[in-house]
Amino acid sequence: MKSHVANEASGSGIRWLAVGMTMLGLALMLLLHWQVFFWVNTEATMGVVQRIFYIHVPAAWVGVYLAFGIVALCSGIYLWLGDERVDMAAVATAEGGMVFTTIVLLTGPLWAKIAWGTYWTWDPRLTSTLLLWFIYLGYFIVRGSTENPEQGRRFAAVVGIMGALDLPLIHLSVTWFRSLHPQPVVLKPEGPTLDPDMLMTLMTGLLAFTVLFLGLVSFRYGLERSRWNLDLKTRRAAAS
Amino acid sequence: MSAFSHGERLGGRILGAVLAVVLMLATPSLSLAQAAANELARQTLGRPYWYVFVAYAVVWLLVAGWVISIARRLSDVEKRLERD
Repeated sequence: MKSHVANEASGSGIRWLAVGMTMLGLALMLLLHWQVFFWVNTEATMGVVQRIFYIHVPAAWVGVYLAFGIVALCSGIYLWLGDERVDMAAVATAEGGMVFTTIVLLTGPLWAKIAWGTYWTWDPRLTSTLLLWFIYLGYFIVRGSTENPEQGRRFAAVVGIMGALDLPLIHLSVTWFRSLHPQPVVLKPEGPTLDPDMLMTLMTGLLAFTVLFLGLVSFRYGLERSRWNLDLKTRRAAAS
Repeated sequence: MSAFSHGERLGGRILGAVLAVVLMLATPSLSLAQAAANELARQTLGRPYWYVFVAYAVVWLLVAGWVISIARRLSDVEKRLERD
């Protein structure tokens, strides 16, 4: 396999991108909080607890679909080209994905306790999302379990690709199986069935979480680059 | 000598006993009804708000925790880069 390595160029551009995106993401988060607590109407059936929806769904979009989609894509490219920068992007995204999937798995039960009367049930959507969290965990365990770092990276890339098979299962579980979890209200063939104000608040949430996630993943990518530079410096010092 | 006749005293005792039985039966029902009313009140106001605030706090805590974790690791690596 042809091996490429990351160059030693300064990551200052990435750092500025990370700062800019994180600041924009935080500003959008503040706008989201204003919309959720002071602007949007209370949902008629579930009451105030439905406001968890505006963070639960964006966290699921980011942590489950966007993050694991990027991890699978970067893992495939890494196995194909062997470019370490792509692997750095994969590991940075996987860590962020795990954080946001944890948000999904903690906010969902809080909503479920009021809506369903229980924090947790072994519903297909909930179970497949928990499975994804364990796949993320496996990604990091496999990565650190070998003495040869390159082998660990390759094993983790395989886990990253295999884990993506859980994504359609998570998405379609509410239609394939009898599920307590609500059906999609936005991504439907007949279009969104949400109240326009609620839809706008959800869109703000999706944008805020996406921008914040990409900003923080850029910071995490900067950390991987710095580690790579340190490793290179150590190897050069040992060789000379 | 008592102002009440024997019949009146007996009637009063029976009435007292009936009232005691009614109170004994009604008290748990009243407390159960009160508990149900409190539960309903919490369903619409108190408890769901608490859950919403906890959910939003979870988001901020986890994001802040991740940021702090990245910052510490980055600072450690940069110190080692400068030192070596």
